[in-house]
Amino acid sequence: MTDRARRVLVVDDSALVRRWVRHVLEPAGFAIEEALNGIEALEKALGGGFDLIVVDVNMPRMDGMTFLRSLRRQPLPVGGTPALVASTENGPQDREAARRAGANFYLVKPLDEEILRSHVAALAGAPAWTP
Amino acid sequence: MDAHVRRGAARRLSVDPGAADALGRAFGVEGDPSVREAILAALVRIGGVRAVEAVLPYLRSDDAALRTGALDVLKSLPESVECLPALLDDPDADLRVLAAEVARAMPNGAALLCRRLLHEHDPNVCAAALDVLAEIGGPDCLPSLQVCAERYVSEPFLRYAVATAVARIGGSQAPGS
Amino acid sequence: MAAASPRAATEEEFLKLCDFLYRHTGLALTPAKRYYVDRRLAERMEATGAGSFGSYFATLRADVGGEMELLVNSLTVNETYFYREDHQLRCLTSSLLDPVARRKRRGEPIRIWSVPCSTGEEPYSIAIWLLENWPAVDEFEIEILGSDIDTRALAAARDGSYGKRALSRLSPDLVGKYFDPAGEERWQIIEGLRNSIQLTQANLVDGAEMARHGRFDVVFCRNVLIYFDDASRRIAAGNLYDALLPGGYICLGHAESMSRISSLFEVVRTEEAIVYRRPEEKAHD
Repeated sequence: MTDRARRVLVVDDSALVRRWVRHVLEPAGFAIEEALNGIEALEKALGGGFDLIVVDVNMPRMDGMTFLRSLRRQPLPVGGTPALVASTENGPQDREAARRAGANFYLVKPLDEEILRSHVAALAGAPAWTP
Repeated sequence: MDAHVRRGAARRLSVDPGAADALGRAFGVEGDPSVREAILAALVRIGGVRAVEAVLPYLRSDDAALRTGALDVLKSLPESVECLPALLDDPDADLRVLAAEVARAMPNGAALLCRRLLHEHDPNVCAAALDVLAEIGGPDCLPSLQVCAERYVSEPFLRYAVATAVARIGGSQAPGS
Repeated sequence: MAAASPRAATEEEFLKLCDFLYRHTGLALTPAKRYYVDRRLAERMEATGAGSFGSYFATLRADVGGEMELLVNSLTVNETYFYREDHQLRCLTSSLLDPVARRKRRGEPIRIWSVPCSTGEEPYSIAIWLLENWPAVDEFEIEILGSDIDTRALAAARDGSYGKRALSRLSPDLVGKYFDPAGEERWQIIEGLRNSIQLTQANLVDGAEMARHGRFDVVFCRNVLIYFDDASRRIAAGNLYDALLPGGYICLGHAESMSRISSLFEVVRTEEAIVYRRPEEKAHD
């Protein structure tokens, strides 16, 4: 275990949401990087070194579910990076779709400060995702 | 039939305004992403109300790729402005979130979003509208943002979002600065 | 507070500009670049006659007079010279060409396209780089094409004469080997090399014109799609997809990201660069 800041990739097309997540997580000691959609997220994630990816569902060019499926096809360790889906939708079928795409956890927006912080703390650096 | 042939067909139809409906139907059943892209490009090229109507149903699709593809087309077509008020008043909040993004590309988008904000009770729709208004809003949006701020005094994210949008519009200092 | 020079934008206006440019181009301007951005912004505001940030931002959003391109150009270093972005050239020889070559049947050429090629620095750089750095260069027929929409740029590319600045990244050895002196501080690409590069006119959004060039193994398409509007990006990306063989690669400029352009290509991260690949054809649809 090292004491480097844990790195979190925040993937959302809303600048306000990205700023909010940064605003909540940076003071808690996380290093934040941002991506606007699934493609940019892949470009960054393939570089490796993320402890967690927080990802929205509806995004232009590549949505969150397509991103997760692509991520999970990558070799380890990148392909096993824990992922938390943050969605505006709350139906059981939405949660199931996210789980099948490779999400470790599902949060419903708007993101509550305390819930976000505690889940990110628990998931960042968790063991590699497995189907 | 191979994807190359279907892409070529979509491209040839891009000069036929009567093909919008057929392209729209093909979009919904097409499995190859490269053909879907060609269909969307063709619909943007055809343009007009028929192209808008051809993709509109996909905003309600369960498939996120179809939803966001349809949204891209709507943002590219000025005629989307005609269906925007109805989209912003749709009973489905998920649809209103997407409508807010369409408003980003429309000349009267800020005014329509501000009107919606006055009686919008879904926090995610408000957040989507605020994200857009932070870019396109002017000082005349500030009263609507004020209404929104009062509605969400106990919701930290929305408070932060309103304060950021207000600051971007030039109403005051940013949160936390 | 010390009397600082007046700023083109307040802190919030700067952030608004950052969010806007990031959304449209992927350029991430950090607060550390604030001073630099401020100066470029002040220049653009003056050039467009904008009296305030608000009126400039409206001009930018509506892209009046191609303002998006002018601003992005002023914020990114957009010079063209030999061996520019040599990490991509390294990537070409160390990661891309070997898998491409393995698929070739005997006598089948490897085809590389530089589009847009501007005044020719890029296609000639690719040729020189391959001659110098790819051990298999003599085993294959390699076709290098350069295309541009601008016929004056193409004429200059055909002439192949360059000043000192364009050659600054090349060693004297390479200049001696691939250039002839052509007057005061000018050098011309040697005739053999000039004749080995094909130069043609092509418009990225014209599907028929693009299709006439056939299909390629690697396409360099740098610093142009970033300036297109959404609809044109979609059309150009479709044309580039068709111009690539399945499994073929596309390289964008270092400030560009495919994330703002198209979802048609797979992201490939090599040791040297991020490139994009047209997916292999599925066995059956």
